[in-house]
Amino acid sequence: MQDEIRLPGHVLCPGCGGAIAERLIFNTLGRNIILFGGGVCASGGTANATIPSFSLHFSGVGAGAAGIAAALEAKGVTDVKVVAINGDGAISDIGFSKLSACAERGDNITQFCMDNEAYMNTGIQRSGLTPWGAWTTTTPKGKQVGSKKDLPMIMATHRIPYVATLSIAHPRDFIAKVKKAAGIDGFKYLHVMAPCPTGWRFSFDKSIEVARLAVETRVWNLFEIADGMLKITHTVKEKKPVVEYLKLQGRFRQLGDKEAQAIQASVDENWARLEQLDKKKVY
Amino acid sequence: MPTKKLLDGNHAAAYGAKLARAEVLGIYPITPQTELANQLADFVASGEMKAKYITVESEHSAMSVCAGGSAAGARVFTASSSQGIVFMEELLWQVPGMRLPVVMGIVNRSIAFPGSLRPDHNDSLLQRDNGWIQIYCENAQEIIDACIQAYRIAEDSRVYLPVIFAYDGYVISHTAMPVEVPDQDDVDRFLPPYKHEYVYLDPKRYKPVITHEPFQELGVEYRYQMEEAQNQARHVIKEVDREYGKIFGRSYGGLIEKYRCEDARAVLVTMGSITGTARVVVDEMRNDGKPIGLVKLRVFRPFPVEEMQELGRSVKAIGFVDRNISHGSAGGGVGTVETARALYSLEVRPVLIGFYAGLVGRDVLPSDIRYMAERVLRAAETGKPEKQVEWIGLRKQAEQVQVKV
Repeated sequence: MQDEIRLPGHVLCPGCGGAIAERLIFNTLGRNIILFGGGVCASGGTANATIPSFSLHFSGVGAGAAGIAAALEAKGVTDVKVVAINGDGAISDIGFSKLSACAERGDNITQFCMDNEAYMNTGIQRSGLTPWGAWTTTTPKGKQVGSKKDLPMIMATHRIPYVATLSIAHPRDFIAKVKKAAGIDGFKYLHVMAPCPTGWRFSFDKSIEVARLAVETRVWNLFEIADGMLKITHTVKEKKPVVEYLKLQGRFRQLGDKEAQAIQASVDENWARLEQLDKKKVY
Repeated sequence: MPTKKLLDGNHAAAYGAKLARAEVLGIYPITPQTELANQLADFVASGEMKAKYITVESEHSAMSVCAGGSAAGARVFTASSSQGIVFMEELLWQVPGMRLPVVMGIVNRSIAFPGSLRPDHNDSLLQRDNGWIQIYCENAQEIIDACIQAYRIAEDSRVYLPVIFAYDGYVISHTAMPVEVPDQDDVDRFLPPYKHEYVYLDPKRYKPVITHEPFQELGVEYRYQMEEAQNQARHVIKEVDREYGKIFGRSYGGLIEKYRCEDARAVLVTMGSITGTARVVVDEMRNDGKPIGLVKLRVFRPFPVEEMQELGRSVKAIGFVDRNISHGSAGGGVGTVETARALYSLEVRPVLIGFYAGLVGRDVLPSDIRYMAERVLRAAETGKPEKQVEWIGLRKQAEQVQVKV
């Protein structure tokens, strides 16, 4: 039987994509880690993980983990890994300068971004990773200004040794990337698409379906950048129209055909750019 | 062997952190703390100090690094001033709550706006409510000693609270004096390696650690225990100061130091660098036969309640020299207000005058000290102050501005 790091149950919502992702992360990395950060929604999914964990308020992204990593180094502890998990608001907004500083310094941390595309814990407010057009409680007509920050590429331009995008609908790809990152020294950034039934307005039994559709429509592309070499790790054989992904979620309900087409165009453009970079050194 | 070095306050603080064997440093530069940041970088670069120096991108991260480092078992150090302290404020509530024995130097500088690069104590006194222990240093020698003592106090299992040692920017941070730098072996004997009994991050001995909101049910009990720790700290600080005196030959009176208070009818209470000036003025006035004494408030948190009450029983008037402002307070700066509470339970209370002095870094001159001393002496005679609160060195024009409501 698999060693379950997290005790049964959690205080996150049913169907939480982040909870699934955290379980995959913990069970892949095992017990010889120190966990930093609040995880996907405050400490809802990390508080009952039976590994040493430490969390500051969510604004303390990265820097708290840097302190832990420094302490381990100062103590000569080399076999314990520091793993940090934070949400998209922490990563892309309030803790963005900290994340950037950790990457610049090369702190020995495996940093996960649990991207559910809004501040879900406080009640679905928009973040820097909310996609254009999406309803949140602070974008009642849909996010009209700004698009989703391209965090994986932003982190890649820091020239860190490893960047990857992950999906809970592709667990083998997910686990392989977590294992790979854990074996590398320095700052590693893993960005997980974590569907949120509550905030995205879909039924809680459809989390994996939504996550899979995100990949099949190329809204969320799976790739890694190891030492500057970009590699697409999963190619969609038959691309589905973005509207299939949109219509499954209430947060896109207010969009008309025109807006849906604009999103499709943006998704196509992103893919074209990514495809050009495949198997190339991006830094 | 201890050595004599010519050190300013910032360099003395750096030597203190080095002698205490701080292992993780999270430091961000700000005037007037920068020479301390630079000296520590040199110590680490030369290998004199075995520490991880994390060049963070903000003070908020500096304290986050300290929090993580301390929880993971390292002795940590940071230092900042003014806006930097305000910027790290969020963490300054989390660290004492987590009972992490972080030690921080605050190089006092006034907070904008209206701010300046020069000192007042509002940056450190802003931390008066959140559980930090606070030591105010008069000179560079006291800084190096306070820094070493701070770790012993913070890491005492009866306390487990973070400690600030504060010193006035420029006046102390940039003014050199001959400082006795303690011997490393003596410091090692005085300060054993850091090991927290309750808070640690170690996969080999995992236990749940309470760090966040899901545990708010126990919040009141947490606060109560932190308050008990502050109460314990009153004894621990005195114990540590006495033991330090035995080993190193210097001690500072624990929470307060009385200077020429024998038979005094009135006293001034000072914090930080103003104390040095006041000593000279009190000497002069004593030579003139004036019954004035001086009390250096060395530790602001925990507040020396018993000491101030004992003082209140022995003199007719107390003047608290507050180098801080608390806008809209009951009368005077936070030192005056705290002292008033301590004295309130006495059956016979002395007169208490609050002096605002040295705000936004304005110099406090010997003539200012003399003026304040004369005012408290007069209040001791009459039994009644002419004013409850006085502004020292205030330019006349300010009083002439009429505000119509």
